[in-house]
Amino acid sequence: MKKNWLVLLLALFVAMIVAACAPDREEQAETPEGSDTGTEQEVTEEKPEKLVIWEDIDKSAGWLEDAIASFEEEHGIQVEFKELNMADAIRDQLRLDGPAGSAPDIVTLPHDQIGQVVTEGLIQEITVEEDILARYSESAVSAQMYNGALYGLPKATETPVFIYNKALMEEAPATMDELYTFSKDFTSGDNYGFLALWDNFYFAHAVLGGMGGYVFNETADGLDREDIGLNNEGAVEGADYIQQWYAEGLFPKAIVGETGGAAMDGLFNDGKVASVMNGPWAFQGMRDAGIDIGVAAMPTLPNGEPMKTFMGVKGWNVTAFTEYPYWSTKLIEHLTSDEVSLARFEAVSEIPANVALVEDPAIAENEGAKAVALQSQYAVPMPNIPEMGEVWGPMASALQTIATEKADAKSALDEAVDQIKTNIETNH
Amino acid sequence: MKDSTSSKKHRKTALLLSILPGFGQFYNKQILKGLVFLILAVSFGSVFFEYMGVGYWGLFTLGEIPKLDHSIFLLIDGIIAVILTVMGLGIYAFNLYDAYHNGKRRDLGEGVNSVRKQYHNLIDNGFPYLMISPGFFLLIFVVIFPIIFVLLLAFTNYDLYHSPPANLVDWVGLQNFKDIFVLDVWRSTFFSVLTWTIVWTFGATTLQVALGIFLAILINQKDLKGKVLFRTIMILPWAVPAFITILIFSGMFNDLGAINKVLLPMVGLDPIPWMTNETFTRLALIMIQTWLGFPFIFAMTTGILQSIPEELYEAADVDGASVFQKFFSITLPLVLYATAPILITQYTFNFNNFNVIFLFNGGGPALPSQNAGGTDILISWIYRLTMTSAQYGKAAAITMILSIIVITVALWQFKRTKSFQEEDMM
Amino acid sequence: MTKKQSKLIRLTISYLIILTMTAIVLYPLLWVLGSSFNPGNSLNSSQMFPDNPTLKHYQFLFDLERSNYLLWYWNSMKISLMTMIFSVILVSFTAYSFSRYRFVGRKNGLMTFLILQMIPNFAALIAIFVLATRLQLIDTHLGLILFYVGGQIPMSTWLMKGYLDTIPKDLDESARMDGAGHFRIFIQIIMPLAKPIISVVALFAFIAPLGDFIIARILLRSNEQYTLAVGLYDLVAKQFGNSFTTFAAGAVLVSVPIALLFLVFQKYFVSGLTAGGTKG
Repeated sequence: MKKNWLVLLLALFVAMIVAACAPDREEQAETPEGSDTGTEQEVTEEKPEKLVIWEDIDKSAGWLEDAIASFEEEHGIQVEFKELNMADAIRDQLRLDGPAGSAPDIVTLPHDQIGQVVTEGLIQEITVEEDILARYSESAVSAQMYNGALYGLPKATETPVFIYNKALMEEAPATMDELYTFSKDFTSGDNYGFLALWDNFYFAHAVLGGMGGYVFNETADGLDREDIGLNNEGAVEGADYIQQWYAEGLFPKAIVGETGGAAMDGLFNDGKVASVMNGPWAFQGMRDAGIDIGVAAMPTLPNGEPMKTFMGVKGWNVTAFTEYPYWSTKLIEHLTSDEVSLARFEAVSEIPANVALVEDPAIAENEGAKAVALQSQYAVPMPNIPEMGEVWGPMASALQTIATEKADAKSALDEAVDQIKTNIETNH
Repeated sequence: MKDSTSSKKHRKTALLLSILPGFGQFYNKQILKGLVFLILAVSFGSVFFEYMGVGYWGLFTLGEIPKLDHSIFLLIDGIIAVILTVMGLGIYAFNLYDAYHNGKRRDLGEGVNSVRKQYHNLIDNGFPYLMISPGFFLLIFVVIFPIIFVLLLAFTNYDLYHSPPANLVDWVGLQNFKDIFVLDVWRSTFFSVLTWTIVWTFGATTLQVALGIFLAILINQKDLKGKVLFRTIMILPWAVPAFITILIFSGMFNDLGAINKVLLPMVGLDPIPWMTNETFTRLALIMIQTWLGFPFIFAMTTGILQSIPEELYEAADVDGASVFQKFFSITLPLVLYATAPILITQYTFNFNNFNVIFLFNGGGPALPSQNAGGTDILISWIYRLTMTSAQYGKAAAITMILSIIVITVALWQFKRTKSFQEEDMM
Repeated sequence: MTKKQSKLIRLTISYLIILTMTAIVLYPLLWVLGSSFNPGNSLNSSQMFPDNPTLKHYQFLFDLERSNYLLWYWNSMKISLMTMIFSVILVSFTAYSFSRYRFVGRKNGLMTFLILQMIPNFAALIAIFVLATRLQLIDTHLGLILFYVGGQIPMSTWLMKGYLDTIPKDLDESARMDGAGHFRIFIQIIMPLAKPIISVVALFAFIAPLGDFIIARILLRSNEQYTLAVGLYDLVAKQFGNSFTTFAAGAVLVSVPIALLFLVFQKYFVSGLTAGGTKG
């Protein structure tokens, strides 16, 4: 008897599976897909009632409401915004909210995530007029390009600069050699002349790149993911130079590794460090700690070249899930206009990518902004292709082993590049 | 005496009729019960049928049109459909069984029960099921469902280049498992991480158990003063949420933290590179986990010690047993016997102890030529994989391998412990 | 060596060891307490005994204008309490059934419970999220509570079943003779005797949500809905160096009530955890 039951149940199960049918989706399939849309939509796309923006956390106060109000006045479209951590939360939640149907129309993302989110299909290509593109610096626009297409408009740029404690250092040195001599004198006990997180590839690239290394070779069709220049002669020279600072005790071991940044900030904020290499995001914390800081471009390297710092470009991107790509694009054009960008700079101190604003007194007379703008001339945007994800880990390992003198520069970098290549091959 | 064919008539008819839920019961003249089955079946079918159809379709195909079909969401809906089906089939099977059972009663001339009797039967036999069902129901959705998801994900190619909505995910069979054991990058990292995971599990857990038992016995000495105070203090590390203490330790072990700046100089030692040398990081991690984990064992052992009858020791004293003899032949066996199942869960807990590894040093320090950090255990390595390389399918496969290891070892251990073999335990 | 001498030596060594352990246990805790009174912000500058202690970090946390800490606190308490109540109810139901009844599927059910708590459902966060979206439980505390309660069931059921097994069955039998129903036996006879283990289960259920920042981060969206763990973790994750002292103050405020709870329940707790093994 038991057997019969089993047969019966099985038959039923099979029947269920046969009943499994594709959903009826003719209707849906006809709706235009987001990424095919362009300017021709001007006529066809209806005006939305409202658009939704996700802005970085703590970055909307003092400017966004005004910008929204002026957009609403002009076009009659309401705009709502929400604050989310840009580094990971926006991407992670877009992944989940997009398909669930609760995605925003516009998000802000760091440009180095663009390759990844485009591959996943989270943001869409946008089309803007030439004269609008001309508003921004060329490198900032190139950071928003992926595979030859434009995926966003630049909101702000940042790159590490030289920050010094005015109480301990009179003026910024012009060359690293000067800084080295100063640091040799100054460093003793808990006091350091200069600190940088050179075990972190984000900062170390300034040295490696300035000496002649590169991540992916830049070709006419974009970045060549096969050609990695992180163990070429220049890169090794740069890594040797980095090792020297650690080996001679000018950098303490405490600033190596995951918690190194916190340790460095702590030392600087306690007034024990004369100068550091850090990004503009660090200014406020230092001032809050009561340090009178000066800011300048990074000193030049021993080979006479300027440091090739990594540039990060934060941009506004239109999500793949919006029904209103045309009006969303219009909104981000508005949000990155010279006028709004200036207001944004005054409110949150992030340096805009607008060319016209470089001369603006608000920026030109701001020491920090000026230094960032100056350094940006030598900076390169971080590669935004997904393969870059495989570079950070192995490079951090290599640089850490170099900093802690567990390996010499050449062999550590060779190993890292091998690893990067294997990982790119297996994962991409 | 009736012939045997007619005596099976009712049960067969009832069974056949109840292929349509409820009709077997009608045949058995249990109208109310039949109605309940019928209504249940109809409502279940009408509410879920379409959902389940789409669910099965999604589960098999994982979607057909990129951008429109979201493979992962389809997979999830598919699993829910399977769960619903199993529940439905359960009810259905019960319906068949019930019709058959009552038909048999009629065949044997016992007559079916009245509604009142049925109610009592239901309460008597069904009571344990009734009590379990709310908890079990919740468990299915909150715990079992995610596990099935991971299990299935391990057989897909879900990674960055097969990420919805732009692309579809496909079933790839055992490819992920093959890759992990065949491709050099994966294999070498997997085994080096596994080795440290095992060392970590045994080192940290054994230490915390030993320390907990030792301190409990020490404080339990009859002539020791201040028991309450000391016991209170020893429980504190357990009382403070672990993620807070781990972050604090991370600060203290830093080169500029209290240990290198204050404690080591006090005893005249040089600073130790806790965060940058993997041997020291491992040592620090084991010490921290011991600190975090011993109070639990301590509390348990204390309880057991208090319940050991005094006569046992008195008898031992009469026989002239030494302190050590008493410890090894009375105290320790009793403690281990009573705590064995919980001790095993401590090992499995540490095997998967993501928080302490992740929060202390992010799995670091970095090692040359390795994908994983120097203190990464399997679970934190999985996290790294998902975060940096978006290798979801592989991460799921490793999760499965890891679960199989834990479960096998734990079950084997459980079966060996005495308390488990007792008839009452199972 | 006389008996007295050996006793003296034994006790001295014991005290020495216990005092050393006391120092090891208390040192990090005191250090956090000290940090929370430090005027600076960073980890490095903080001292165990600050030169000029300040309450400013506490003031910051209590200032509703500047931080949502109090809201998080309230959320966490609410979630923990609800998790505790539901866990206790569901776990006692399941544990009682497994302990007192012999029914089809019992053995397999127990085995399933045992295995379930060993599988990390780490890679399944996305599944949890989608399920919550389907049930409209995103950014609600109800969703979070359900997940926490579900997570508590397997382990706690085992603990409680072990304890209930030690309560003599004669009690049930005689009550049944007197005509008590299943549910009445459960509520009036067994539950009062199971107080110690109930307090264990309750405490576990209460503290589990306070230590979780992974599921809560996935399910909760708005800052006002955050739990303490998520809020505090964000505080340090964002800028470990610059708000360590604020974090320390927040940590102290979380730890004190939990520690008190532990101490109050300690007596029950210990007997509840261990009774399963010693008798019988």
